[in-house]
Amino acid sequence: MKADPVKAGAGVKTYVRPMGSWWLRNPFYRWYMLRELSCAFITAYALILLRGLMSLTEGREAFDAWRGSLGSPWAVGFHVIALLMVTYHAWTWFKVMPKTLPFVSIAGRRLSDRTIIALGLAAACAASILVFLAVFLNAPQAPP
Amino acid sequence: MSAPAHRTITIECLRYHPATDSRPRQQSYEVPFTDDMSVLQGLQHVKDHIDGSLTFRWSCRMAICGSCGMMLNGQPVLACETFLRDLYPGPVRVEPLSHFPIIRDLVIDQTDFLRKLESIKPYLMPAEDRPVASGTFLQTPEQMDEYYQFSQCINCLLCYAACPEYGLNPAFTGPAALALLQRYNADSRDAGTAERMPIVNAEDGAWGCTLVGYCSVVCPKAVDPARAVNVNKINSTRDYFRHLLMPR
Amino acid sequence: MQHVRFDVVVVGGGGAGLRAAIAAAESDAGLRIALVSKIVPMRSHTVAAEGGAAAVVRPDDSLDSHFDDTVSGGDWLCDQAAVEYFVARCAREMTRLEHLGCPWSRKADGNVNVRYFGGMKVQRTWFAADRSGFHILHTLFQASLKYPAIRRFDEFFCVELLVEDGGIRGVLAIEIATGEFFLFECASVVLCTGGAGRAFRQNTNAGTVTGDGMALAFRQGVPLRDMEFVQWHPTALPGTGILITEGCRGEGAILVNKDGYRYLQDYGLGPLDPWPRPKAMELGPRDRLSQAFWHELQKGRTVTTARGPVVHLDLRHLGAKKIHERLPLITEIAKTFVGVDAVEQPIPVCPAVHYTMGGILTNVRCETPLRGLFAAGECSSVGIHGANRLGSNSLSELLVFGATAGIGAAEHAHAAPRRDDSRMQRRAEETVLRLSGMLATTGGERSAVVRAEMMDSMEAGVGIYRREATLKAACDNLAGLRARCRAGLHLDDRSREFNTEWLGAIELEFTLEVAEAMAHSALARRESRGAHMRLDGHDSRDDVNFLKHTLARFGGDGPPRIDHMPVTITRSLPRTRSYGGAGSKAEMS
Repeated sequence: MKADPVKAGAGVKTYVRPMGSWWLRNPFYRWYMLRELSCAFITAYALILLRGLMSLTEGREAFDAWRGSLGSPWAVGFHVIALLMVTYHAWTWFKVMPKTLPFVSIAGRRLSDRTIIALGLAAACAASILVFLAVFLNAPQAPP
Repeated sequence: MSAPAHRTITIECLRYHPATDSRPRQQSYEVPFTDDMSVLQGLQHVKDHIDGSLTFRWSCRMAICGSCGMMLNGQPVLACETFLRDLYPGPVRVEPLSHFPIIRDLVIDQTDFLRKLESIKPYLMPAEDRPVASGTFLQTPEQMDEYYQFSQCINCLLCYAACPEYGLNPAFTGPAALALLQRYNADSRDAGTAERMPIVNAEDGAWGCTLVGYCSVVCPKAVDPARAVNVNKINSTRDYFRHLLMPR
Repeated sequence: MQHVRFDVVVVGGGGAGLRAAIAAAESDAGLRIALVSKIVPMRSHTVAAEGGAAAVVRPDDSLDSHFDDTVSGGDWLCDQAAVEYFVARCAREMTRLEHLGCPWSRKADGNVNVRYFGGMKVQRTWFAADRSGFHILHTLFQASLKYPAIRRFDEFFCVELLVEDGGIRGVLAIEIATGEFFLFECASVVLCTGGAGRAFRQNTNAGTVTGDGMALAFRQGVPLRDMEFVQWHPTALPGTGILITEGCRGEGAILVNKDGYRYLQDYGLGPLDPWPRPKAMELGPRDRLSQAFWHELQKGRTVTTARGPVVHLDLRHLGAKKIHERLPLITEIAKTFVGVDAVEQPIPVCPAVHYTMGGILTNVRCETPLRGLFAAGECSSVGIHGANRLGSNSLSELLVFGATAGIGAAEHAHAAPRRDDSRMQRRAEETVLRLSGMLATTGGERSAVVRAEMMDSMEAGVGIYRREATLKAACDNLAGLRARCRAGLHLDDRSREFNTEWLGAIELEFTLEVAEAMAHSALARRESRGAHMRLDGHDSRDDVNFLKHTLARFGGDGPPRIDHMPVTITRSLPRTRSYGGAGSKAEMS
């Protein structure tokens, strides 16, 4: 004998709350959206760099023009914001990086998330310093 | 222990009745409290002495059964381990867990989660059936460490209330279900990882997650569902390429 | 009212209920099994159990030893045939649970670890950190999802057992979300509804532990056995009653009074050293420890706090590493609920009602006298706990007897003839009318007022130590409270959908009936044994007159009728129950 079909839970009119502007409702979400927004600035910066690369293939004048355009107040303003965004992005990137890794054990003790983040940030800082030094120690003299 | 103080705090509850309300409304209550009273005890005071119609789930009072999850001032917490003294002077805004349909007042519909839990095959699938007479599997403390924290999940659903992806896309398998999936996959006694892969690989599986990370912040048991979901992105990618290079 | 048909209905989705449903499903995959629970199963109170589950595994252990510890722990009121059945099956069930995935704590070599527990001579308590109940429950719940034969009815509140011609015919329940009534017609019912600790003010129990199943069976003429035996857990947080596991003491924690003195040595549980040592000092049985607290309180040697008198549970000497590894939940609880860091300060504790040794009368096959009705777990009295339960026997009980009841229910369902029963439908409709009528009551008291008076009555009259006068007062109070309920309780909430005020009022009536059975049973037992202690001249064990079980039978609107039945003794004749130094001397004589 088959069991009778049971109509359980029928007829209760549940209420579904709309998501609306959910990202404004909690500071955690606002910082998350800023992280996501930072990608737009990083993309824009990458496109500007790409333009610069392309201009290299077009000859000296094109490249100088591109370099010159970077000196305008708008461009400087954009680059300052982009630098802040990249820094924030890097910071949040390292903070969530441990979540993407399987557990790591060294000599029988598990590497904590805080250690992984600290190592990552340290490596990023070291790399940045190296690049900074490499660029500015080897910078050619400004043309007359 | 502190001496009982007789202060009062306002608790603003979101109310909803499926038979009479077309949308939720607010109702405030003045609750006298002592320093060691939890929000749950505050709500119980309301129900016992002020308004018996206020409806909420609770059971163990010690943050292990997972019944009393709700939004307090916009954050998902367990009411039994959140204390009125920390929210004073208030008012305390109490709402049912976000991202779930409301059945009544602070009671939400859990059936979607229960369905998702069932879908991830949350049981040990050993390589071969072991008769009871041959005793227990061997498992060292190191092997247990690989999955133990994921087994701490009390199914309180705070992580679902925290996850905006789940709110935007209710088909997303979600943090707790994926954490429990990882609990079994990482258990040395289990051989069911391949069988659970389709769930992980799905758009609404591990890939439904954008690593907001709020789930792990709100989890009362340090399960770290964000990790469980995101290590499975690596597993899913590996699986994808393995099948690309060696088709079944 | 919806009418549905199943073969087996399991009421209660905790450890025993899930184990019973799984056992029934495994015995016959074609069986239609309904698992009906007033809460979603993983919220069941099994989840809060901390310490562990006993089973003999060590080579220096034996079934005889587990048997002896249990029978002497129960002060010889145990049905020894049931204890023999029980101890022989524990290890198998624990192993089976491990195969289902339960993360029992391990030794370095990968084998399951076992620890000491109160009243047990040898280490035999399997544990999963200090949240064994949580892991057992979640393992069972998740495993139950594998069985298509098990159909779950989450948040369905059972209100009546339907009985015709001396046999169970079905269960009437309310679907909580809608307030609609469901009539479950079935051949077998397994009650796994837990204890009744919420009858008392200070208790470790969840809000759901209200004696529902006991009252349901009671009302249908099934006797409740040994209801006077209520266990106070010696270490609970003052005020809330939140449990601090015995496992702490198994790891070596000590109890000291306001002078920093390990007072248990004054109560026949010493000497102090070596420590930890089984069945001595803080690893003595729970009734002795709770009684010692009471005596310290009388002597003014407890610490006074805003939440009542306490003693100190000191873990500091165990060291941070061991505390965090073995007792993580306790550390969390102490921090969250009393602001104490267990590594730096002692935890304030006092006794709270924790377990109901008594319950629905069953035989060793979990059959009640009502044909087709089975019971398992804390709601039942299968006879293994006697006058006092040993810690870690209860979680094992859920598994051993949950399985027994499930198999028995499945077999009964096969053998039972199918019948049409319109009488059952009519009986159910009467109950529907009565309960629906509660929603229309005018006037009346708030249930919270009646509930508070019940809890205070029980605390004062049927406490750790009892006197004839206080017991009689409790009996009278409870009769009065039941009458006040019958006059009608006031409900603010008159709707159907998820009306927990209404369900709370129905629960209150269940709890009052069970409390009455407890008080009257205690009054009738004119001796002191195990957890039932009297100070009115009946302050020692009387094996001549009271080596027998108490039976309470439902008296309708009136008080329960008290009767007795013999204890089954197979091979352990009653001895002096001693622990500590005297205990080991007694063992050797």
